Amino acid sequence: MIYLYDGTFDGFLTCVYEHYYSEKADGICPPGAYQPDMLAASRRVHTDEGKAGKVETAIIGKISPYAFARIYRVYRTSTDGKEMMLLNYLRFCFKRGPGAAFLHSHPLVHPVARAEQKIGNEVHRLCGLIRFSSVSAPAGEGAAQTEILYARVSPDHEALEFLAPHFADRFKNEPFIIHDTKRGRAVFAWQRRWHLSDFTEQDAATLASTAREEAYRSLWRNYFDTMAIKERTNPRCQRNLMPARYWENLPEMQLR
Amino acid sequence: MDSSTMDKLTVLGEGAKYDVSCSSSGADRSNIGRIGNAACAGVCHSWSADGRCISLLKILLSNDCVYDCKYCVNRRTANVSRRTFEPRELAGLTIEFYRRNYIEGLFLSSAVLVSPDHTAERMYECLWILREEYGFAGYIHAKVIPSTSPEILHRIGLVSDRLSVNIELPSEDSLALLAPQKKTQGIFGPMRQITETQAEHRTLSAPGLMGKLGAGMDTFRPPAPASFTAAGNVPAVTRRGRYKERFAPAGQTTQMIVGATHENDLHIIRTSEALYRRFSMKRVYFSAYIPVASAPELPDMTMPPPLKREHRLYQADWLLRFYGFRADEILSEDAPNLDYELDPKVVWALRHLEFFPIEINKAPLEELLRIPGVGNTSATRIMRQRREAAVRYDDLKKMGVVLKRAKYFLTCSGRYYGDGELEPYYIHEKLTREARPLPGGDTKAIAPYAPAPLLDGAKIRGSLAGGGTGQISMFEALQV
Repeated sequence: MIYLYDGTFDGFLTCVYEHYYSEKADGICPPGAYQPDMLAASRRVHTDEGKAGKVETAIIGKISPYAFARIYRVYRTSTDGKEMMLLNYLRFCFKRGPGAAFLHSHPLVHPVARAEQKIGNEVHRLCGLIRFSSVSAPAGEGAAQTEILYARVSPDHEALEFLAPHFADRFKNEPFIIHDTKRGRAVFAWQRRWHLSDFTEQDAATLASTAREEAYRSLWRNYFDTMAIKERTNPRCQRNLMPARYWENLPEMQLR
Repeated sequence: MDSSTMDKLTVLGEGAKYDVSCSSSGADRSNIGRIGNAACAGVCHSWSADGRCISLLKILLSNDCVYDCKYCVNRRTANVSRRTFEPRELAGLTIEFYRRNYIEGLFLSSAVLVSPDHTAERMYECLWILREEYGFAGYIHAKVIPSTSPEILHRIGLVSDRLSVNIELPSEDSLALLAPQKKTQGIFGPMRQITETQAEHRTLSAPGLMGKLGAGMDTFRPPAPASFTAAGNVPAVTRRGRYKERFAPAGQTTQMIVGATHENDLHIIRTSEALYRRFSMKRVYFSAYIPVASAPELPDMTMPPPLKREHRLYQADWLLRFYGFRADEILSEDAPNLDYELDPKVVWALRHLEFFPIEINKAPLEELLRIPGVGNTSATRIMRQRREAAVRYDDLKKMGVVLKRAKYFLTCSGRYYGDGELEPYYIHEKLTREARPLPGGDTKAIAPYAPAPLLDGAKIRGSLAGGGTGQISMFEALQV
């Protein structure tokens, strides 16, 4: 049986529940990924928070809280076929117990560990590679025009919610938006609280750059160029550490 | 903001870029002020064209120096334009960069403006404005000017996360030769004060994994605070519920220039081991000498910076801090320089084949770490998996072991996987052929770079042949 679900984490947990209590899953597909197959039957799974909650309790109780956190992080990656990968990992863990995570090279554990490492690395890297601009947000109902921080990112994985706590603490007194341009989502944060919401390019267009912004950018670019030691130039090393796919949002890497 | 800020940023950034230390690690703090926090692992924000990371705003407060150190771009006699930041101006710039997430904090250094104390006071003023007026809770690394008086150093330590005093050169003789105004006591005095104050404030911790690995590393553990009451500082308030004064919670580091003077690698490694041991330093950085001036005491201007040598020294440094090696294991008086073709761990293994092959499924952690190609991460993974199931040879690659090197030195459940005899020349031949060439234009170890010392014979105790003696005298000075 191939399960079709709505692409949410709770939906995925519901599929895990159905796998154990109704029919074995041969595939779990988010919307858009399903390609009809003559041989395998498919079924739509409706997200049920009660069932999802039961699966969550079971994972935390029978495997470990760490396993649940790991599954959540891996679910936020954009790995192909992550649902079946996680289901197989879960089945293995339910059998082996918490020690399963230590079998690093096991064929069911290794891909999960690698995916987890990938999103972890990206989150860490983005903590440094996000660039805010000081922009003025339009005056709204009951709110005057304010200066806020705005950053654009296009991460490989859904890293936003793991980045949010770091920046929400760091800039607790400044309202800021981190905009994931690839997925049309954004983090909105102020005073240590944050939430995720949809955010489009049209919304972004309402934010106006402030006058001082360009001045600080050119200061930064200038400083960046100054810091390189000519005798040690090593562009390959630079690119390894700061992959070119992040450059579009870095003022210092723009052509000048 | 006007064009003068741009000008100062360029000139003073230019002067600071040869400082090697870049890390923003070691302090873990949520936002206790109004802006900023610090992550224990540190965060890199950008990488410049030379591949070095930009994490902190590394900048001089001033480059108007009264000293005349021969190797330095800012020496008094150099023909460079001189600029000085106003403390408030620099603090404001730091905050604006920090808000945009360009940087993780401030690395404040300075040339000696008027006198060490005058400079230190201005640096303190800048840091105080950041901490108190802006409520900045992010990372601050302050460079300590040698011969700063203890009172000002103590204040700077209370507003900084990390302090560093540059040892600059690995021996007293070289220091006398190239930096005649810097005195040994002026460098080691502040270092000792930092260590002792940290011990009193109970923020002293050993570098790397030194505290955790093996009995031989006992000496690296911080000494008991009781023996340091002589430092004369007010002890930290530790009662619950009271604010605890933190003195340089991320520890201290230092750096030395490599390739400008005649010391061999053994001497350098021994010196850094002694620094770790004596001061519980977090890091000792090496900086490959880049010719910025022509002087008879200095190497030829056309010399390429010894990047390969620097790389090997860092590898040896990692062996000291994370792998439980001692300096005398890595190099000896007979072979005092690091090999350019193979890394120091492989060289050690080839000299001590009697320890190998090591059985992956039985050996304790300290022994696993001695296998070339096995690092801390993969060794920990091996230890973990062993609790659940035996480790097979095919598993090792997935665990992150570099089999290209490791296969000659291990067995898996009794089986050896190297493709020949366990014989040094054979393995050496194999590994050299597969080794990736290192970047850098330097071709051979130190001898060609070492200029003939020009001072009289009595002052040069450690010449090319006996590089070790200068180091001992340097540390004799510490015993006083």
